[in-house]
Amino acid sequence: MNTQRAQHLFPALCVLLLAGTVTFLSFTREPADAFLFPRMVSVVMLGLAIWNFYRAASGLSKVGSGFTVDLIKTIAPGLIVLVLYVFFAAKYLGFYLSSLITFFVLFSLYDPASHKEPRVWVKRLVISVVFMLVIYALFTLLLKVQTPRGIFR
Amino acid sequence: MEFMQYFGGVFEPLSFALLVFGTVGGLILGATPGLSPTMAVALLIPFTFQLQPTQGLILLGAAYTATVAGGAVSAILLKIPGAPANIATALDGHEMAKKGQGTKALHVSFLASGVGGVIGVLLLIFLTPILAKWALAFGPPHLFWMAILGVTIIGSLDSKSFVKGLLSGCLGFWLSMIGYDDIQGAQRFIFTDALTGGVNVITALIGIFAIPQVIEMFAKGRKQVVVSAIKVEKQSLADSLKLLFQNIKALSIGTVIGSIVGLIPGVGGQIAGLVAYDQSKKFSKHSEKYGTGHPEGVIAAESANNAMVGPSLVPLLTLSIPGSPTAAVLLGGLLIHGIFPGSDLFENHPQVAWTFINSMLIGQVLMVIFGIWIASYAARVAQVPSAIMAACVMVLAVFGAYSVQQSMGDVYIMAALGIAMFFLEKFGFSAAPLVLGLILGPIAESNFIQGSMIANAQDGPLPYFLFGPLNIFLIALVVLSIAYSFVMSRRQVAQNVALQS
Amino acid sequence: MNCKKIGAAIALSVLALTSSAVRAADYPDRPISVMVSYGAGGATDFQARIVTMMAGGDDFLTQPIVIINKPGAGGRVGWNWFASEADNDGYTMAAYNIPHFVAQSIEGGVKYSTDSFEPIANWGSDPAVVVVGKDSKYNTIGELMDFAKENPGKVTLSGAGLYVGHHIAALQIEKASGTKLAYIPTKGGGAAAMKAVIAGDVIAGVNNLSDAYRAQSAGNVKILAIADVQRNEQFLPDVPTLMESGYDVDDSSVNFRGLMVPKGTDPAIIDMLAAKVPAMFESARVKKQMDAGGSPLKIMKRDEVLQMWKDREVYLTELLAGLK
Repeated sequence: MNTQRAQHLFPALCVLLLAGTVTFLSFTREPADAFLFPRMVSVVMLGLAIWNFYRAASGLSKVGSGFTVDLIKTIAPGLIVLVLYVFFAAKYLGFYLSSLITFFVLFSLYDPASHKEPRVWVKRLVISVVFMLVIYALFTLLLKVQTPRGIFR
Repeated sequence: MEFMQYFGGVFEPLSFALLVFGTVGGLILGATPGLSPTMAVALLIPFTFQLQPTQGLILLGAAYTATVAGGAVSAILLKIPGAPANIATALDGHEMAKKGQGTKALHVSFLASGVGGVIGVLLLIFLTPILAKWALAFGPPHLFWMAILGVTIIGSLDSKSFVKGLLSGCLGFWLSMIGYDDIQGAQRFIFTDALTGGVNVITALIGIFAIPQVIEMFAKGRKQVVVSAIKVEKQSLADSLKLLFQNIKALSIGTVIGSIVGLIPGVGGQIAGLVAYDQSKKFSKHSEKYGTGHPEGVIAAESANNAMVGPSLVPLLTLSIPGSPTAAVLLGGLLIHGIFPGSDLFENHPQVAWTFINSMLIGQVLMVIFGIWIASYAARVAQVPSAIMAACVMVLAVFGAYSVQQSMGDVYIMAALGIAMFFLEKFGFSAAPLVLGLILGPIAESNFIQGSMIANAQDGPLPYFLFGPLNIFLIALVVLSIAYSFVMSRRQVAQNVALQS
Repeated sequence: MNCKKIGAAIALSVLALTSSAVRAADYPDRPISVMVSYGAGGATDFQARIVTMMAGGDDFLTQPIVIINKPGAGGRVGWNWFASEADNDGYTMAAYNIPHFVAQSIEGGVKYSTDSFEPIANWGSDPAVVVVGKDSKYNTIGELMDFAKENPGKVTLSGAGLYVGHHIAALQIEKASGTKLAYIPTKGGGAAAMKAVIAGDVIAGVNNLSDAYRAQSAGNVKILAIADVQRNEQFLPDVPTLMESGYDVDDSSVNFRGLMVPKGTDPAIIDMLAAKVPAMFESARVKKQMDAGGSPLKIMKRDEVLQMWKDREVYLTELLAGLK
């Protein structure tokens, strides 16, 4: 079995499991009236998921570039920052502080410029602050959106 | 020509200033992720408290027009459609921007919007009484078939894999059912508290389009990119106009479809762009170029988007029935000033009615002028290094998703959907069919359930859903659309086989 | 500004913000959000926008009020969020609809009840009315009910959702007239229910007085009866009540709208709001705009609202138990 086929099996299996769960829930939950439409959709979805799984298992799924170890290594730090930012920092540190930190960290992580130069760090900080000021003007001043304030409440 | 005599009202200093303010503000709001035209208009209502009714309406009308077109800016430059209406614009528009043709994409997008928009408003002016009857002809069974017709275009939105396209659509349908069911009040598929409110379309749109985009930018790593390598091509207005008229077919298809779809209450402008994109692809000689940065796609989608603006107001202005969410907000804006849309509006307040409609006409023109003016500056976004861009889009996505309903749950849903979509996209699933499923799911379901309830009180579901000229016409379209997709995919397979051998 | 100053400023503001006493005294120092659990442009939404438009004035709250819409499932989505997630710092208020949220809490499956919220003040009451399309062959409620008696379950009746005022009115009409009706809840609230009547998708509908009054003046519908204990002299003096027409339907479906805060909000803030908000509702400008929109004003203070909530809860529990 080549790696491409193995790679396609994984998402196909995930989608199949999801479709199975949805179908199971649709047919077991009450009231039946409210689940009429979900039942219809879930059966179609399950059928398609089985077909898709069959195609993946027999190596017919070819579209999509899949993952490589290099790719995972490059995106991992960014993904970790993303998850920490959205699921933890945004609520507990407040939107503005967490966004400023995230902006600065993401920028620094993927900026090609050398990390050794102090001037590069100053530039990154200035851009982060300026961007957050623009966001503040747009969302808080103009649109009056009350964002979570986290520890600053 | 009653409307001509009220043109003066639009050009009074304060009115015109408001028109300009509404247009520019609308473009900015429209380009902000998370702010759909509906929300942008709702946000502007407090500003109208201090104004005369006519002036307030000018502001709202201009903003409505401009936000619909402004959504194309973020769709093209960032691949974040500002509203469901702009999904189709992103498909080709962003590819163009990546090639450095951002200015060109923005030019044709604004020009096509302008042409579609002006024609839409002219329809509103001249054909309102006829169109109003038409809009009411669509009952629950017809809206159900409209939604199914929408589903059939999934096949052509996703040229990569037929099964995965349909499967993505099904996933979208399922996502739309999460949360409280609107009619019965039953709880469905609520695995975590964040999902009680269901999956909001705008939130999903941000997650599904922006987050994979951000992760793709991470994937570029710390490679030293020579900035001058991404050259933003200069584009003269004359060339853009020429390009627009070379693609007159896409422009006409977009405008016609946008006007028709916009008229139907409940389906609204959300799918006008996608349907027009699909049709123009089917009728094009270069259908294989769609999705690779083909201006035709942008033209069809954007002309449809703005063509829908005028007709979508027909049911509101004549019958006081808001045909789309944005029309509902405009209704609120009218009522606050004590104006009842309907025959009363045109008989007793013609000044208000016609000045409003005229301002949308002038607003379309202003929108094109300002849009063209900012295009060449805005297109430089493509030159921003990917590290900064990733950070910008990430933060914007979070603020945008939160501001839809000021709910943290929406931000979690946005990010979770986005990460899942990145993963699925790597294996050939695609975002557009998923969003289409998410939009059409509730339309199909609520009209099916409502139709069945009405039918059960009358002659039973079969005659209710299958008989009547409009039902038969729509079912025929559904069958045709499926047959067409099927034939096309067979032909493609045959071509591939021929190429391989 | 040097770093020390910034640091000191941040430390100070953190101190200031974390102390609850100081917070109540300064309240409000930023815009206040009002969550409306129906879509933008609906009756609750536009009335909420009108009655809160004066909030920024010096006599009232001194800070503007911003409306947030969280529509879904007849209001359940918004009120669930309000009961379980909204901050109780006084900066998040919500619009309530009686009998909707009370009836839904009695029916179950939601996270709120009258105990989850603290009312501030009531701004309006909007009775339910029975409407038919302008070309309908029914001109009185009696004619419609006679047809319903002969054809049980054949009269389709649209309304905004399950266990909202419209639905309760429909249930009461069924009970009072001894008929069976096909109640069709619509997605998209009162506006969609009204569209179904005007387009002839359904035979009749139950809708808000304010929306029906507008549709009638536009010449699209006929209003047959009003589900209240007395006629509405201001807007519909000629429309009989259901009681006058011989159907024992009282005012329990009348839609009361007002503002509330989540349980646990600082009592000082509640008192301050309870004192200032009714005055805001009473201002001449609000009255003028509400009249223009065909929306009856009914201003009630916090104590009256608390009593009204209690009464309705007892009454609705009984009613819903009896209607099943």
